[in-house]
Amino acid sequence: MRRFDKKELTRCNGEADAPAFIAYKGNVYDVSRNFLWQGGRHFRIHTAGSDLTHCLDLAPHGEEMLERCPVIGEFPEE
Amino acid sequence: MAKVAREMVEKTGINLDQLVELLVKNAAAELTTFYYYTILRANLIGLEGEGIKEIAETARIEDRNHFEALVPRIYELGGNLPEDMKVFHDLSACPPARLPKNPKDVKAMLKVLVEAERCAVRGYTYICNLTAGKDHRTYDLSTAILNEEIEHESWFSEFLGEGPSGHFMRRGETSPFVGKFLR
Repeated sequence: MRRFDKKELTRCNGEADAPAFIAYKGNVYDVSRNFLWQGGRHFRIHTAGSDLTHCLDLAPHGEEMLERCPVIGEFPEE
Repeated sequence: MAKVAREMVEKTGINLDQLVELLVKNAAAELTTFYYYTILRANLIGLEGEGIKEIAETARIEDRNHFEALVPRIYELGGNLPEDMKVFHDLSACPPARLPKNPKDVKAMLKVLVEAERCAVRGYTYICNLTAGKDHRTYDLSTAILNEEIEHESWFSEFLGEGPSGHFMRRGETSPFVGKFLR
């Protein structure tokens, strides 16, 4: 499994031709093909290329939505 | 635009641009769902499909009503709908409720329907939480829509064998909660 550092993850922000990856609890998820992450943005609130571990508490959904996206790497938590 | 109404909401600390965008995204979800449900309804045929058709039709009409009820609030708050319908479709708060690969698979149809309703329930719960005690008009509207979305979810969930909905299908007019915003 590929290991990402913060710099690599930030580049995967879904803009232009970049893929859209997000980190959550040490895993990196590919959300590029998710309808709700078009252009690397999730509503107006979240952007791809970042660690969203501490954001899910406020979301109107739980971890089950992430399970629909493939895990493509690891993001060691600091 | 309702200038003072907008100022009152802003004063509560709500990010108005974010709220308007959420309302537009949910309006897009409602109208696109109305469209996709039209296709689902047309394909709900046969002994199993016919049993679900009427309830899918009620949900379809009520989703259109939700769109109609949301639009005035968007403009009151200084927002607007995109000029391009394709843009509007793609910014929907919920994924397209597309016809399953096998339209004769009624269970697959129900899963599409229940997923669409669950997405809506999540979305309006979020808006209610955001506006509670702050933006009374948007809260009132979102609560009304949420009431109907929860009922839709429970109808389809019941058909999927997840448990009783707790109520019967609509008798008489549609949109018992949202109706007051449409008069």
